[in-house]
Amino acid sequence: MFSVTKITIRRLVLISTITTLASLALMIASILAPGPLLLVVAMSLGQFFGTASLVLYLLAIVLDLQGYGEHDEFGSLD
Amino acid sequence: MLKIDSTEQLLRVAALVSAVIAVLILIWYLLVRPPLGRSTKIVLLFGLGVMPLATSLAGNISGFEYTLQRSFCGSCHVMLPYTQDAADPTSHSLAAIHSRNRAFGEESCYTCHADYQMFGTMTTKLNGLRHLYYYITEYANTGPYGEGGKPIHMYKPFQNAMCTRCHSTEAPRWGKVDDHAAALDDIRKGDTKCIDCHSGEVIHPRAFAHGGNGRAPARTASNAAPAGAAKE
Ligand code: HEC
Ligand code: HEC
Ligand code: HEC
Repeated sequence: MFSVTKITIRRLVLISTITTLASLALMIASILAPGPLLLVVAMSLGQFFGTASLVLYLLAIVLDLQGYGEHDEFGSLD
Repeated sequence: MLKIDSTEQLLRVAALVSAVIAVLILIWYLLVRPPLGRSTKIVLLFGLGVMPLATSLAGNISGFEYTLQRSFCGSCHVMLPYTQDAADPTSHSLAAIHSRNRAFGEESCYTCHADYQMFGTMTTKLNGLRHLYYYITEYANTGPYGEGGKPIHMYKPFQNAMCTRCHSTEAPRWGKVDDHAAALDDIRKGDTKCIDCHSGEVIHPRAFAHGGNGRAPARTASNAAPAGAAKE
């Protein structure tokens, strides 16, 4: 198993933030300019990525709360 | 641009507001990159969870309403033979007759095709994507009415229930139609389908699937516009 460090956790949060922003952009676009294409994409892909990034974030929090990466040398980056 | 005069628009505004709050939180996080302490985690939970969920919930409901409109169906050109006929005040097709009724109104396709998987619920999302995929890969550049594409058919056969939720089969005048009386038991059991008789060009006359050419039929004595219909 690969070892989970504080950096891993912060990366998970970063990825989650960026994918959420992308899916929010899709959803906002589909609300402002509802067209069939945008609407279908926003209601499927947009929501899929939105949900996936929330799962990533929750995973990061669980790892963090379980104390992963507490004692590695990068701990001070936090 | 956004005027609030219906629940749908209220939902869209709510969706927008929560989306903007989420975006602000996330941009703040990307710019400041604060340590992942307890309060950061909670703020992020709003930016990554609560607010986006609110956005998609409200967006789903208003998006769902939007997909029920006949204009949505017509936004893919291959549906124009269906939607233009339904909107034609001189057409005698069942789709048009039903569409002229207020109870169907602008949602007339949905009212008869309520079990069609482009509408509503979770599976719609995947089906919508699948449709979009087929539309782009198979029906792009197929001519103004999609005449160059494959014939369009339904995923699953049309169920009597789609008609009998309004035409109960109990009405005396309905029962007096010879063909109905003869097949009544089979119709009620579903062994005989309404569309065994009421189908094809009777419903969607311009559809290529039923011998149409996408456009309005030429006017002849036998299909002349009914009295009182708009003059062309
Ligand atoms: C009176 C109810 C009714 C209405 C209103 C209606 N349809 Fe249909 N539609 C049917 C029936 C019944 C069939 C099956 C016809 C058959 O199999 O012969 C059908 C079939 C179809 C098909 C499958 C291909 C075909 O031609 O058999 C498409 C696509 C379709 N309808 C689109 C639409 C669209 C778009 C609208 C809105 C303009 C609409 N329909 C309105 C009853 C309706
Ligand atoms: C949402 C309710 C509803 C559904 C679903 C529905 N109908 Fe109707 N139907 C009506 C109404 C209302 C009328 C009377 C239309 C009017 O006069 O405005 C009508 C009229 C008709 C007529 C008479 C048309 C004429 O020329 O007078 C036929 C035939 C018919 N429907 C068949 C069907 C069939 C077949 C289906 C299923 C594919 C179907 N209907 C589905 C409500 C419905
Ligand atoms: C065996 C063929 C057959 C079947 C099956 C059938 N119909 Fe009919 N229907 C007819 C014929 C024929 C007429 C009279 C001519 C016409 O209006 O097209 C008629 C007329 C009607 C009318 C108008 C009569 C009125 O009361 O004013 C309606 C509504 C209707 N059908 C609905 C249905 C529905 C709903 C079903 C399925 C539950 C169905 N039909 C099944 C053949 C059939």
